[in-house]
Amino acid sequence: MSVLGEPKPSLARQREVDALNRTWIACPYCDSLWRRPVLQEGQRVKCGRCHSVILTNKHRSAERTIALMIASLILYAVAISFPFMRMERSGLSNEISVIDSVMILWTNDMNSLAVICGAFILLFPLSRIILLLFVGMSLLGKVSTGRPHALSFRLAQYLEPWTMAEIFMIGVIVSLVKVGKLADISLGPAFWGMSGLIVLLTLGASAVCRDTIWQDIRRTP
Amino acid sequence: MTTAREKGLALCRTCGTLTDRPGETCTVCGAKTRLRNPHSIQKVWALWIAGVVAYIPGNVMPIMVTQSASGESPATIMGGVITLIHHESYAIAAVIFIASIVVPLSKFAVIAWLTLSIQRQWAIDDHRRHFAHELVEFIGRWSMIDVFVVAALAALIQIGGLMSILPGPGVDAFAMSVIFTMFSAMSLDPRLIWDRPSKTPETKHVPA
Repeated sequence: MSVLGEPKPSLARQREVDALNRTWIACPYCDSLWRRPVLQEGQRVKCGRCHSVILTNKHRSAERTIALMIASLILYAVAISFPFMRMERSGLSNEISVIDSVMILWTNDMNSLAVICGAFILLFPLSRIILLLFVGMSLLGKVSTGRPHALSFRLAQYLEPWTMAEIFMIGVIVSLVKVGKLADISLGPAFWGMSGLIVLLTLGASAVCRDTIWQDIRRTP
Repeated sequence: MTTAREKGLALCRTCGTLTDRPGETCTVCGAKTRLRNPHSIQKVWALWIAGVVAYIPGNVMPIMVTQSASGESPATIMGGVITLIHHESYAIAAVIFIASIVVPLSKFAVIAWLTLSIQRQWAIDDHRRHFAHELVEFIGRWSMIDVFVVAALAALIQIGGLMSILPGPGVDAFAMSVIFTMFSAMSLDPRLIWDRPSKTPETKHVPA
């Protein structure tokens, strides 16, 4: 993350780079160079050499991203704080939320598991939601664009493979099958909240139009 | 067809901006622009080796220990799969087997094959290698399933002296293996797959 330490590039240099990028586009996968086409909303362009999608212009990307991220934020609150599962065995019951379970792991000296779960299920998804919300807002002109905007979107991109809420849910389902024979398990509201959150995050990831966002940042120095 | 490099242009892999000054800090996103990811192959191998090394204790040591009135029973990943088969949970056994054994092992094989094919300039269809790289990047994170299974069980099953489930030493090693392998796949610059083989090794072209 060098963006904050580096001096801001001169306006002339930013214009120069913008001009270059208005004419040319390169494929990030195979490095082939093409004349940049002008896209209508909803169109996308594939690289003529490796056939990867290299340019998109998604329909109302910013609005959809903002809507999905606000909804995600609400479901996130439900998913982490409400009871997730309730287990009963021989008269003893145990009801936990996702936050509780991370706490339980931490206090019972299972620190590495607590850190893995805390980061991949709690911290990274939340950071990504907030960062994308901020990026979406600035794209609509509600918040001023600029360097914080660029840094936010960059971070959101880096976080993408490390948000693992959907993998966690599959793990939970497997663990339910494993203990199903030992105890009575019932699912709490947070389980359904988390299931909904996964759907929203997936839709959100596909609503984000990377090219439009970076182009916007590039053109408004 | 020309490449950006042939025109002296470098593409920022973070934001997709082209620059005519390779090596400069991207004026748009602030990442370092590079003609190619420097030392890409070395990074891939270093992280690949770390992933393979961590994978061994991840599988040999127990990932989960069940403590109950009848004593302690440790279970490895493969042990857990066999238990599930005994309980006739075939679908779940298959999920764990694929996510924890098939995916990591094929990832090691595919990354090694891709990297060797670049180093040795094997004549393999570029489209096929490109697809293999995409697949490995997409699928690698799913190996974390078993780590989350242990975490969920350990958090849920804590009923005083009656029964409790604790993570075994294998689970940390296994999680590290997945993380190292994810970084290994990310370090591979896909542009190296498409570069024409007449060139000298890519990393030497990159200005400091």
